[in-house]
Amino acid sequence: MTLIGVPGRSGGIAVVRRLAGHLARGLVMILVVTTISFLIIRNIPGDPMAAKYEKLVEQGMSPEAAQQAVNVLYGFMPTGSMWEQYLDYMKGLARLDLGQSLTVPGTGVGTVLMSAAKWTLIPVLAGTLLSFLVGIILGVYAAIKRQGKLGDLLAISGSLLHGVPQYVLALLLGAIFTTLIPILPAGGTADIMFEPGFNAGYIGSLIQHATLPVVTYALASYGGWILAMKSSVVTVLGDDFILAAELRGMKRSIIFRYIARNAILPLFTILALSLGMLFGGAIFIERIFNYPGLGLMLIDSITGRDYALMGGAFLLITVAIIIANIAADLLYTVIDPRVRSGGEAA
Amino acid sequence: MKRVAAVVSLLSLAAVTATACSSTSKGGSSASGGGVFTTIDGFKPGLDVNGPINPWNPKGNMFQGYNAMKLGWVKNTLTDPNQFYPGIAATWEIAPDNSSVTLHLQPNNKWSDGKPVTAEDVKLSIALAYTQGSTAFSTAPGAAGAASDVEIVDDHTVKITQDMSNPSVTFVRGVMDSFVVPAHIWKDAIPANFWDTLKASRGEGAEADKARAEITALSDKVLAFAPAKDVSSGPYTLERMNPGEALLVKNKNFYNAANVGPDQVKLLNYTGNEQIWNYLISGKLDNAPFTAVPADVMKRIGQTPGNAVVKGFSPVSVAMAFNQSKKPYDNVHVRRGLAYLINRDEVTKIASPEGGTPALTTTGIHQKPAEAWLGSELSQLEPYKLDVAKAEKEFKEAGLKKTGGKWTLPDGKPWKFTINVPAPFSDWVSAAKAVTSQLNEAGVSAEVLTSADYPLYLSELAAGKYDVGFWLVALGPAPYNIYQRLYGASNGWSILGGKIKHSAPGKDGNWMGSPETINVEGVGKVNPGELTGKLNTAPESEQKAIISQLAKAANQDLPVIQLWDYVNTQFINTSRFTGFPENDSEALRLTSGVWLQLGMIKKK
Repeated sequence: MTLIGVPGRSGGIAVVRRLAGHLARGLVMILVVTTISFLIIRNIPGDPMAAKYEKLVEQGMSPEAAQQAVNVLYGFMPTGSMWEQYLDYMKGLARLDLGQSLTVPGTGVGTVLMSAAKWTLIPVLAGTLLSFLVGIILGVYAAIKRQGKLGDLLAISGSLLHGVPQYVLALLLGAIFTTLIPILPAGGTADIMFEPGFNAGYIGSLIQHATLPVVTYALASYGGWILAMKSSVVTVLGDDFILAAELRGMKRSIIFRYIARNAILPLFTILALSLGMLFGGAIFIERIFNYPGLGLMLIDSITGRDYALMGGAFLLITVAIIIANIAADLLYTVIDPRVRSGGEAA
Repeated sequence: MKRVAAVVSLLSLAAVTATACSSTSKGGSSASGGGVFTTIDGFKPGLDVNGPINPWNPKGNMFQGYNAMKLGWVKNTLTDPNQFYPGIAATWEIAPDNSSVTLHLQPNNKWSDGKPVTAEDVKLSIALAYTQGSTAFSTAPGAAGAASDVEIVDDHTVKITQDMSNPSVTFVRGVMDSFVVPAHIWKDAIPANFWDTLKASRGEGAEADKARAEITALSDKVLAFAPAKDVSSGPYTLERMNPGEALLVKNKNFYNAANVGPDQVKLLNYTGNEQIWNYLISGKLDNAPFTAVPADVMKRIGQTPGNAVVKGFSPVSVAMAFNQSKKPYDNVHVRRGLAYLINRDEVTKIASPEGGTPALTTTGIHQKPAEAWLGSELSQLEPYKLDVAKAEKEFKEAGLKKTGGKWTLPDGKPWKFTINVPAPFSDWVSAAKAVTSQLNEAGVSAEVLTSADYPLYLSELAAGKYDVGFWLVALGPAPYNIYQRLYGASNGWSILGGKIKHSAPGKDGNWMGSPETINVEGVGKVNPGELTGKLNTAPESEQKAIISQLAKAANQDLPVIQLWDYVNTQFINTSRFTGFPENDSEALRLTSGVWLQLGMIKKK
């Protein structure tokens, strides 16, 4: 078997070694981050049971009955000293058991996470890829036409959108498309009236509901991509090989490809890292559009002091980022020959 | 590129089709029957597809009044906690001494799978309730108002007897406010020898302790019990759900199915008030339960065609509570002086213009039941109207000094009045700011500090870290529950084995730190915690006298300053349905599921 883009047996061994090193470092990193997040989470002040008790008495339950009902939930809280809790948690992790959720008593943390993760992947993945595609294409154009008005306009639009916080964009788009011109739904994932499955109605409803979160996410990230791509292209434009290509009288489309291919390299690393951040969710966007992904789940777990669920969410984010880092490193090896050959080609 | 274009075109077509189908679907439903009733469940913020179909689970997908049924539905009354609408029980007879209640079940009620609803279902549900904590079904030794026996009289009659060694006036309420689930689905959730274990738990000694531990150990299993599908005895059954919505369809086996209007109910997800506001502004909801709404949002909600507001009594008041372990709040004159400086009308206007009415004075009770319980005595209590001169007199009596226009402590050190509130409670934050503004104007240096969230706020409040914090009081209608907020565990008094115990300030959750006894003008020396405990068992005739003493004690000693009484402000939309409860209806605090099952709501 030959790894894609890796010439020869010795190159393959080098990549495998590199991968093994990354994985070992990644595991250590996961252990460290898990330990730190465990300590932080367990030391967050606040009593979720007191809040539940207050809610029950407010609903008319007698104080004693409310206390009993709350005591039942204590069965789902971790017990023992901090050290014992840590050991229990790590033993569970070794068995891939993330524990039981406190906010959804009796349900495994893994189940809750997976259920929320798919709704985060839709807007964040779609938004990231959309903004990346649009951002790099317009970024190249803005760099080439940087002396013209259109180039300026694109660069300004990038700076503006890059500077506007996600939540401001989300509120603005929400106000326009759900209230002023109410053509898009204000929340949820799909109209429940449609039978879930591969049918036009359901898929259309999914798209309708995902439109605002995806567009907001794409607009919020587009500015960063266009500015990064423009800057990268401007750097490449000054390289000798572009001048040589122009002097040889090559077609503009070929020169454009040369520019784009070389300028995009640093952005691939950023893209890979952005994809690793997918599981961090888009907290403000999900909250504003009531889109039930990991971001919204994380807020709920913090409010409810659901230690196991918080721990699971942070672990998922950590693992995703570490994998993305490894993938970015390997991807760079594949797409940039200079890195692959240890700089010999440069 | 062509492939991408084709995919985009297909997806766009799907979206357009969805829009078209969406309206067709709703239109079709309207034509075939009673339409789709859209609402939110105030008891279930944050729908969760992972939640089991289990009424005891906080994230369970059983919705009160829709697919979750109780024996009866508690009416929203001013003073009587034992008024109910029928639920699984059609009628009930309460023994004159409150020692038992005999329930007659709906004669023609069936579960959605066709099996009849019987007394066995009720008995099994009571067994399950014992594992979850319930007022009437408690294994705690000496618990007031606990049942001592559950007897099946016949297939449709159950008699529940109260343990009269420590009775409570809320016993019947505790019974009626219980969920009923199908025995044929839930029978495996508890062991067959449950009732023997329960009997053993009622004694004393090691055997009883072991039996109680066995019952407690069942709680997790019951809470996590997840039937594969919804078998409901309510007007609806859960058809399907996604993280944003739940769809319930009419249960044709429900005893009153013929009178239930809408064919389907759509419950929308929400995690915060702003989402409910959006739903209301877009005209999506046929009903939304009490939601705090700022004035500008209220205006926009009102502009949506069909939207209307229904208001009623809500037995909840907001108060500013003092930590009397901290100086100078241990001095009653300081508390009174502050009360004279707060303009409650202004505070309510700013903080809760639609959802609150300014408190007439501090009694520990909501104004409306206070009128019913106290009658003319209410007007004799000190109203603490805005009066700077009286405030100055009280402060001087407490030894405070005014220098350079600012009040200082008796030793001349600066006095900083700090109010703590949880940041997410926008009405409390607004109120606290209004109060500090008024106090600063009067020379009391005041500030507001916010806590990141409610759990943090409550834990710091209980730890005695705050001087003054906002606190819900008057949680009625049961008088014991009302005064337990002022003279309960947070103020040092708790009931252990049926006996009242007082803990010193700073211990056992006592963060309010009132003295154990108070000399009340015209009454004498009273122990307010003991009086509160008596409210649990005293008959109605005696309750009035006790409430009178407690109201006077609260009014004179001011452990809290009552700011405003909440008004149950519900939103309805009359474009699609009619028959909503009127203002002050006794059904207003119940979910619209109960309105639907009682046959109130009809399609327009």
